[in-house]
Amino acid sequence: MQDLAAQTVNFIDLNILSISFLFVVGFIGGLVSGFIGSGGAFVLTPGMMSLGVPGTVAVASNMCHKFPKAMVGAYKRWKYGQVDIKLGLVMAVSAGAGVWVGINIQEWVLAKWGQAGSNLYVSVSFVVILVIVGGYVFYDAWKTSRSGGVEKVCALAKWLQTINLPPMMHFKTANVRISMWFTIPIGFATGMLAATIAVGGFIGVPGMIYVIGASGLVASASELVIAFVMGFGGTVKWAMHGMVDIRLTLIILGGSLLGVQLGAIGTTYVKEHMIKIVMGTIMLIVAVSRALAVPTYLKDLDLLTISDSTTKVLMTASFISMCIALSVGAVIILGSMWKAKRAETAKKAGLALERSYG
Amino acid sequence: MMTFRKNKEKGKQVAEVRASRPAVSGAEPGDGGPEGRDRPPEIKRKILVVGKGPGFTTGVMDYAANLAERLGYDIIAMSLQPSLDQAVKFFPPYNQHQRARFAQRARAAWEMAEPAFKSQGIGCEHMVRFEDLARAVKALNHEVKRIDFVITDAGITDEEITGEIPLPVFSISGYQGDQVMAQEPQAGRSKLMGKTVALGLGAAALYAAVFLNTGTIMKYFTRGGWYAALPVATVFLFSFVHGAFASNVWSLLGIEATKKVQPRVAPTRPAQRKRPRPQLRIDT
Repeated sequence: MQDLAAQTVNFIDLNILSISFLFVVGFIGGLVSGFIGSGGAFVLTPGMMSLGVPGTVAVASNMCHKFPKAMVGAYKRWKYGQVDIKLGLVMAVSAGAGVWVGINIQEWVLAKWGQAGSNLYVSVSFVVILVIVGGYVFYDAWKTSRSGGVEKVCALAKWLQTINLPPMMHFKTANVRISMWFTIPIGFATGMLAATIAVGGFIGVPGMIYVIGASGLVASASELVIAFVMGFGGTVKWAMHGMVDIRLTLIILGGSLLGVQLGAIGTTYVKEHMIKIVMGTIMLIVAVSRALAVPTYLKDLDLLTISDSTTKVLMTASFISMCIALSVGAVIILGSMWKAKRAETAKKAGLALERSYG
Repeated sequence: MMTFRKNKEKGKQVAEVRASRPAVSGAEPGDGGPEGRDRPPEIKRKILVVGKGPGFTTGVMDYAANLAERLGYDIIAMSLQPSLDQAVKFFPPYNQHQRARFAQRARAAWEMAEPAFKSQGIGCEHMVRFEDLARAVKALNHEVKRIDFVITDAGITDEEITGEIPLPVFSISGYQGDQVMAQEPQAGRSKLMGKTVALGLGAAALYAAVFLNTGTIMKYFTRGGWYAALPVATVFLFSFVHGAFASNVWSLLGIEATKKVQPRVAPTRPAQRKRPRPQLRIDT
């Protein structure tokens, strides 16, 4: 961290295009976050970097917007009865430990293999985790929608809940009673992933669903509590090194506070498995995006030979597919909200007609 | 607890009363047995209709009206909002404001439902309570005499109906019709518009303050050390103002959570019953 602080930090000049870009991406990122409990960060950080923002400033400014957005989203979903505050806080404790370990591993990789090695480590982590977890989440959502849209508790979670390993904890809103020891690895992995790829929720939310046994709604809502705690801690750390560009943070926040509330409202319109569908879709497309960037990092480490033009094409495709991931998520969310709202309006109109004849 | 299963066909109010042992021949809810005939005629028996939230389901209201008219009972309608229980809130003035709002909405919904009772000659009144079902019914039963039984809609979970309730509770399940809920009155909407505009101006002012002074702001906000409090405090401030503005904007545009939102999932552990529930069942 001392190396980073010692570097001269350049804060970019802003123009209408960059402001609009950040606002729109902030809005879409907030929408996805409000719906699935995480997301947006993996586009915002590279997005800011593509505007010329140094990596550390991008990460710090992103984090500084993440925790208030998570706070607003969590509050909104708490009003809808979806947040299990106790579950979020218990996981946040082990997530904090995970973040600390994750950052130390990052620094070790950076020291040993330099920036290219660090980028490769991050990208490979992305691909492996997102393909495995995202694939399973998507498959589970597809299975649920085939069986009539009723979510069932996973067999693993059911089994773990029967194991009596004190201290046992009861999570009221999630309707789960489980040993505290089983929440620790999930929280820890969430923190580690957050420190590595900036999106802890891609492990946290599936972990809460498949290991602890919470529903998709409660898991994605409680994740916002974890995001708030981690984001707050991380921001304080970065801000103490003077890395937060408040202008970028506030522009992104302008869009994301609108988006996160819309996403939260959206969860009340759709069937529960829709959250898994959006999450799975985004994770798989992002995995593709990160996989496209891997050859470039292999080249930087002299492990692969490709031409400069190919590198450029791959990195552009990688960035565009990341934007596509977020956009597809937003389209699915808004589309399903629109359909549900229309169905509700039609049902009300139909009832009114029936009653007038009844 | 006896459950009336409504026929799934919409609009039909066929209540199917299933029973296993005849307790009193021809007994129906409301029959108090021999004492009933000795009761002073001026104190009418009552049915307590409980709605959770500011509305009432038409199915429950229609059923209660039919029953009250047949039995010659009065109706007490109670709107419950346990989440505004004073004991669980940290900020009393805000809680008071929320209670006032809830009471206003509940009253407005009742005013829509009341004429149906009056037209059938049923005496009725309405009240609002901020407690859970068991406590509210217990308290009311002390204050008001001759409440014979309680009718609720299926929004009230089994776990809330505990042995503490001294009256039989009948929960209407199946199709219950639409919600009788007051539309936001016009005055309420303009108030919301006013608040939104004020918050929007506040947010705009905050953004202007930052972006017209970026030199000074960036100088202090990136100093590190204790100056870290500046960006943190700033985003909190923006979140409260802009967050409230954003919430109001969606409300004004009519984009709000659907009514199917159920606040708080009741625990699956069964409530501790202090005494067994009446198991009155009737063969029809």
